[in-house]
Amino acid sequence: MGRTKILRQAWYIGLLDSLPLLRDPMLLVVLSLIAFLPVFFLYLFSPEGGAALPALVGAIVLTLAFIGLFAAQSVYFYKHWFRFQDMFVASPVSPIAYTLGLSMSTLFSSSPAVVLALVALYWAVPAGAIAVLATLAVSALLWLSMVFAGFAIGSSIKNTRRANSIPQVLGFVIGFLPPVYYPLSILPPSVQPLALLVPSTHAAQLAKHYFGLLPSPLTEGEILFGWTYLVAFTVAMALLVARKARWVDP
Amino acid sequence: MDVVEVEGLGKTYPKGTVALRDVSFRIAKGEVFCLLGRNGAGKTTLLRILATQLRPTTGHARVLGHDVQREPRAIRPRIAVVPQEARPQMMLSAWDHVRLMCMIRGMSKEDAHRRARAVMEEFELWEHKDKLSADLSGGLQQRVLLAMAFTADPEVLFLDEPTIGLDPLGRRQVWSMVRRLTSEGVTVLLTTHYMDEAEKLADRLAIVHQGALAFLGTVDEAKALAGTGMRVIVEPAKANGGERQVLNPKSDGEILGIVQRSLVQGDRVTFQPPTLEDAFIKLVGGTIDG
Repeated sequence: MGRTKILRQAWYIGLLDSLPLLRDPMLLVVLSLIAFLPVFFLYLFSPEGGAALPALVGAIVLTLAFIGLFAAQSVYFYKHWFRFQDMFVASPVSPIAYTLGLSMSTLFSSSPAVVLALVALYWAVPAGAIAVLATLAVSALLWLSMVFAGFAIGSSIKNTRRANSIPQVLGFVIGFLPPVYYPLSILPPSVQPLALLVPSTHAAQLAKHYFGLLPSPLTEGEILFGWTYLVAFTVAMALLVARKARWVDP
Repeated sequence: MDVVEVEGLGKTYPKGTVALRDVSFRIAKGEVFCLLGRNGAGKTTLLRILATQLRPTTGHARVLGHDVQREPRAIRPRIAVVPQEARPQMMLSAWDHVRLMCMIRGMSKEDAHRRARAVMEEFELWEHKDKLSADLSGGLQQRVLLAMAFTADPEVLFLDEPTIGLDPLGRRQVWSMVRRLTSEGVTVLLTTHYMDEAEKLADRLAIVHQGALAFLGTVDEAKALAGTGMRVIVEPAKANGGERQVLNPKSDGEILGIVQRSLVQGDRVTFQPPTLEDAFIKLVGGTIDG
């Protein structure tokens, strides 16, 4: 099947999945608020609002990650609730187009918030194009790994309650517990290695580094380690999906 | 020409449940083939294997001349499915569903528009096109799903309990659509719980029981299995008292005896020809759930 045809299928599957959100701007606002709420409180309660800018970087990174995780819901509902996956299997739709479509739909719904936040950040800290591109790149890597995780979760769970609750719990674990909104240095040294196991820590550290918002810049070794960890985590999640997700049921 | 060929098909799920055992049959082009059976009999498993959604464990199945396991990609563009208990997305309109499905299947925007409109008019969905699925009745929602499948212009259509939730008119509409499709050479395989649906639609049917074929043939052949077939209902005259009796006479002589007795006593006698349900109960030894 040609690439254009796959992309076309993916686009329309993405639309099918995201149209309800795109037609209701209030839902988009609510989705964005989840990641940006801590920024608001840090702005209010930190001295002179100084913690808000690093937290804004964290929110940009996390918006994509959160929404990526929610691919789990689409996968679950398309398979077990709407049963559209079965309709697509028995049609010319390729599994790649289906995967790409459901992944893209998460991007459709999160992009407005990310773009707005990036514009605000760049206006406050004009760190240059490299910083913006690097932030987008780490965000994209984290998003991709979370989409893969979402697909693995959505393919494995068998009941609707779990389809709703697991992404939310995981969102809390990758978003609010690790040092994404706050600096890694705040954590006691004994806990820091634990925080570095979470991919969102690396994504946030790298993005803050490129915008010059860390108390002390990362060393070259730390930068390399951060990128390697994100790539390795994404590959691990991709392998997990390859093992869990099934186009044709066994 | 046989469009579906099934030979010794078996399916055991990974957790050990045996869903199908040694099932063999063929379906000719333009036939409506019904799969009847109780819940969990293996109907959906069989349909899903033929629709390339599920791998069989043993045996072979070919659809449109291609093996479902080895050449699914040659089959998929030529078939369509309405899965059991499928639901439309509540926050999308009927038009969104049908038109997007056309485009997902590869039609251009203009063709998708034309095709979606034609099918929706045929299904009497056009007047509801902009309503959200959440605002449609269960019957209309089911029609949206059917329209999504019908837009594909498939050579083989798989319908898994397609008329559940439809009112009598809605059911008849689906039946006439199915009949129209088969008159154009489309082959339809459908599973159903409704005996009247199978009687009205099926050119041939298979009764699946505990994963195996308990019967394969026409509706009349199935009915013939129900014995002499005639059911005699005797309603006693008011003066005589007594209760209504449903009798299953085994011979013509027995029928004659009942009629003579009733005439003498002034009772009312009616005859009921055998139904598919009688045959089903005889073969499966129970009633259909749901």
